[in-house]
Amino acid sequence: MKRAALVASLGLLAGIAWHLGADPVRFARGLPWMWDFVRRMVPPDPAVLPSALVGALGTLEIALLGTALAAMLAVPLGFLSARNVAPPAVYYVARTALNFFRSIDTLVYALLFVAAVGLGPFPGMLAVVAYTTTSLAKLYSETIEGIDAGPVDAITTTGATRLQVLRFGVLPQVLPLFFSYVLYRFESNVRAATVLGFVGAGGIGLYLQTYLRMIDYPAASTVLLVTVLMVVGVDYASARIRARLV
Amino acid sequence: MIEVRGLRVVLPPATVALYGVDLVVEPGEFVMIIGRSGAGKTTFLRAINRLVEPTAGTVHVAGEPVTGADPRALRRVRRRIGMIFQQFNLVRRASVLENVLAGRLGYVPEWPSLLGRFPVRDRALARECLAQVGLTALADRRADTLSGGEQQRVAIARALAQEPQVVLGDEPTASLDPALAQVILGILRRINEERRLTLVVSQHQLESALEHGTRIVGFRAGRIVFDGPPRAVTPAVVAAIYGEEAA
Repeated sequence: MKRAALVASLGLLAGIAWHLGADPVRFARGLPWMWDFVRRMVPPDPAVLPSALVGALGTLEIALLGTALAAMLAVPLGFLSARNVAPPAVYYVARTALNFFRSIDTLVYALLFVAAVGLGPFPGMLAVVAYTTTSLAKLYSETIEGIDAGPVDAITTTGATRLQVLRFGVLPQVLPLFFSYVLYRFESNVRAATVLGFVGAGGIGLYLQTYLRMIDYPAASTVLLVTVLMVVGVDYASARIRARLV
Repeated sequence: MIEVRGLRVVLPPATVALYGVDLVVEPGEFVMIIGRSGAGKTTFLRAINRLVEPTAGTVHVAGEPVTGADPRALRRVRRRIGMIFQQFNLVRRASVLENVLAGRLGYVPEWPSLLGRFPVRDRALARECLAQVGLTALADRRADTLSGGEQQRVAIARALAQEPQVVLGDEPTASLDPALAQVILGILRRINEERRLTLVVSQHQLESALEHGTRIVGFRAGRIVFDGPPRAVTPAVVAAIYGEEAA
């Protein structure tokens, strides 16, 4: 039985490889070209460092403002889609809407916003807001659903209103976790924002794409290095802060 | 002070927790509720302030209807009913004083309270309640840095801050060691005697229930099987409440 399942799975994967045209020979033939590509990228061109840094700053700004706006917008949505807080009708509508919009990636939102408001970092920031709001709302709602009911009961019995129960029984339990999720989303958004420039939505991606098109590989490699250092730096700082929160 | 008539509670999906219970508690009584786990003690207490929704029957506290009350009326009557819990149920990350202030939520203006602003009078009252349980020195400590016994005293102060007429206790000493349990029961008895507060407390431990209560109510399988003064609790009564044979 187990063996049959294994054979069937391998057969399926082989079929997909054939359908994709995944060809080891073709890959091997491409290897020298990849080596050539890498060779031409070395050494990086220090002359473009200033523009790479400007691009990196733009990416960080897109991620920071986008994440901050989304962190706030997601709070009401998170409560509306938490089973133990929202009325059932609201809960189902909110959950369905969240799952629908969450399936659209930041880059796709960027294409839509570039079409709507034109080129530049602004549509990129809007794309980060759109995706991050729904993804944080989902994380928030799951946190709210996992809280200890005890303090909520205790606040309820004082004769508190619904809002007071949320403020005094629920918020103190969930805020540290919310903050930790926001930091985590910020890390991912820095990464996501590095490619927003490919579709004209600002940040360092614009420079990478431009230099690659100009076949200026040393310049492109400088941009790539700055990108890697920025992402690693943000990940490291954010991980340290999050470790202190939980 | 508390009037319960025909209280029936069916917990979803179909567990009958209480079968039509009647109980009248007079002002100033210290009622100890005893019985085995699952006898309906917790459900009975939680139905009095409608943390559990009764399936049938009526509950009145201080003459006000609890059952059938609309949300606003329910909040008004809940202010009169303090409650303490086995797990203390403090807001762990908030300070001790903030936890006691929560007892004023039913009285203070709603919007300022959401921003953490409480009238001076209510702050003073909260401090006074904290003094009554002997924890003035710990007012600014975070609640989860306190010991279990101290946390339960904060919870009592929070209940007192409601200026209640009734305090309900759901096994308030079950998570504490015997010495601390005696301290907590002593505080409850003092507020019962000095403030003439009506207390209804469920208690796992029979001896301390008999020592501190003025009236004993025994639950078994969702029904009241004994109701009388502590001295009337004979071995036969104990067997009827806790007995081994199938309930």
